[in-house]
Formats: sequence, C-alpha cells, structure tokens
Amino acid sequence: MKASLKKEKPIREYLKPENRILIMEFIDYYKLLELDRSATKADIKKAYRKLARKYHPDLNPNDKAAQARFQQINEAHEVLSDPEKRKKYDEYGKDWQHAEQFEQAKKQRAASGGFGGGFGGGEQSYSYSGNFDDDTFSDFFEQMFGGRARAEGAHRGRHFKGQDFNAELQLRLSEVYESRKHTLTVNGKNIRLTIPAGVENGQTIKIKGHGGPGIQGGPKGDLYITFNILNDTNFRREKEHLYSSEEISLSTAALGGEIRVKTFNGEVKLKVKPGTQNGTKVKLKGKGFPKYKTEGQFGDLIVTYNIQIPKVLSEKQKELFQELKKTGL
Amino acid sequence: MNYDDLIPAEELCLRYKVEQQFVSSLNDSGIIQLVTVKETDYIPCDHLASFEKMIRLHRELEINLAGLEAVHHLLNKIDKLQQDNLELKNRLGLYE
Repeated sequence: MKASLKKEKPIREYLKPENRILIMEFIDYYKLLELDRSATKADIKKAYRKLARKYHPDLNPNDKAAQARFQQINEAHEVLSDPEKRKKYDEYGKDWQHAEQFEQAKKQRAASGGFGGGFGGGEQSYSYSGNFDDDTFSDFFEQMFGGRARAEGAHRGRHFKGQDFNAELQLRLSEVYESRKHTLTVNGKNIRLTIPAGVENGQTIKIKGHGGPGIQGGPKGDLYITFNILNDTNFRREKEHLYSSEEISLSTAALGGEIRVKTFNGEVKLKVKPGTQNGTKVKLKGKGFPKYKTEGQFGDLIVTYNIQIPKVLSEKQKELFQELKKTGL
Repeated sequence: MNYDDLIPAEELCLRYKVEQQFVSSLNDSGIIQLVTVKETDYIPCDHLASFEKMIRLHRELEINLAGLEAVHHLLNKIDKLQQDNLELKNRLGLYE
C-alpha cells in the first residue's frame, strides 16, 4: 500500500494515477486508549487492559470490527508503553510524516557541526493508513517505528501459532451443487482447494497452515473461509432440502393428471392425484441438495402446488361452470 | 483412539511455558480433555486451539482460571447463538 515519489517531480507528475499521493491519517493513540497526554505508565496499562478485555478477538468471535479495534488498541499500547516510542510520538505528533527527515536533519547538523542538511536529497514516502491487516500494524506505526517494532513487543520469547486469517468467499448456489476446485488468492498466495458440494451459506471451513507465520518459530496459523452463497435459482434451500412451488390448473387439481416438475438437475414427471387441494406439498425423495461431506446422499425436493383459479373465462367455460354449479359444485 | 493425534501434556507445558497445574485445571473445568495412556497425560490435537486460546486470555488479559471457565462457557453459548442465528437467517431468506 505504499507509494513513493521523488521530490523534484513537477506537480503535474503527481496528478498521474501512478504517482497519486495517498494521504495517511494521523492516529491519536491517546484518544484510542481514552487517555490524556499526561497519563502515567500505570494509567496506560490500566486503560489497555480494560479495552483489550472488551475487544480481544478471542472474546469477540467472528467480529471483524472488534478485531480491527483490538489491533489499534494494541498498537497504541505498543507505542505509549515504550518510553522511547512515546517520546518520538509526543515530539512529532501530527508531523510524524516528517519524523525521519527531522531525525536525518538533526544527524546531519550534528555531523557537519552546522545547519546545512535540511530536507534535501533522498526520497519522501507517503502511505495510506486505516487498513489493519490481520497480522500487521498500521502504516502509520510502521512509518514511525518500522515494521519490525512489533516483534520486539510483548510476545518476546514465546513460541506461538501464527495469526489465523479470515476470508469470505462468494459463490452461487448452482456452484455448490457439485464439489468443485477453486483457486483463491490470499495475501498474494494462490491456494487451490476443493469446495465440497452442499456447503452452506455462512458456513466456515478451516484450511490448516495457510494463516500468518508462526511467532518465534511457532506453527503457521490457519485460514478460515466463510461462504456467502447467493441463490441464483428458483429453489429455496434449507440445509439439504430444496423447496419450489408449481402451478397446476383447476381441472388437473380436480380430475388429476400428469405434470412436469423442474428439479435441480432436470425435469421429472409427476402424477397429480384427483382432488388435490391448494397448498398441497409433495416430497420428491433424493431430489434435493447434496448433503455436505456425505458422498452420494441428497436431501428432498418439496413441491407446493398452487392451484390456478382462472381470472377470465370464455363463454364455453362459463357455461360449463354454470352446469357444474347446478350439480352443487 | 488414534494415538497419533495426542500430544504429551508435559511437552506442551514446556513449549508454552505453563505449569502442569494449569493444564490439570483446564482439564478439571472441562475446557480441554486430557487422555491418560500409561500414566502419561496427553492433549488431543483438536483441543489444542482451545488450549492456546486459554493461554492467550490468561496471559494477555490476566484472566484467572475461574474467569477462563466462565469465558469458555460464554464463548460456547455465543457460538451456539451465532449458529442458531445463522440458521434462522437462512430460513428467513426462504420467505423474502
């Protein structure tokens, strides 16, 4: 997410899409921890504990907002609990973007014994913040303290499994009727996996070892994929059962007959019993959706009959209905 | 019982730097289930995630064992409610 550009480029060059500057927001770590700038080390610890207990990912399963908030709180604690980092943060505040240049200028001044270095030379880098990955601190943090700062933090000396990643995969209902191979790109890596037939909307599956790298030599985390299944069919699905409705004519309902009914994988002939009532449900065994991870087993298709009452009748039909009426029908 | 899926509790205690007592307490409260084979305690692989979660909560949030037990119970409840909620949402979709 980082873009860098040379200082000497003319302004119009910056307007080209490839050179566009992304503005990074200033993150107020004190505000995040609900503290004022005079907070003591004990205050910071107390505030961190309070908020960490509220937003810890283990206590907020499947809550991405809480997870992002926890990472922000962690980052704020990482900076404010370290006197050196806190000093740098307090010193440069909203001008954090120029922290490196200030530091360089200071060093140059010290080396030359005068005021000559200024902001000249080198590259100026800008980056975008607000995007908290599962495993990284904000760009703001990395800009100020470097990407490795986290490894120096609270996890020193422990061997822990890497961060678990969560991803969402959108599929159509017709795509999960059969087991299919899919290629996913997670953090730049292509993962080829077979999605078993019958997977459900909202279901989460675990792909072992495709999460973040382990901490201090620990095993890799896992990848959790949650399925978002869009229904692109006329069937309604409830687990492995499918539901549909079929319109039948009044005469077929009264006298019985044969109709053709659509199933997920083709049409079948169905006999309608004489005297069929509106709303009658017929179960077609094994014509539903595949049962998840149960090879060759299917749910049922439940068809509801909707009897069509004619809105317009021809003269002949009217006559016939009059005849029927006379018989007491 | 597949013995390949069992990890010696002693080895995990060393690796995660926790007391054996901590593991026993998690077992007593039903958060993990130890398997004893020839007087050696083992943790089944599928309990490892729960075990690690409890270590994280214990260390990062300083939650004691009684607290962990309560957290475990409530997390199971949340999980069940989320499952029920999802099922109901999927059912509701039938009528939309």
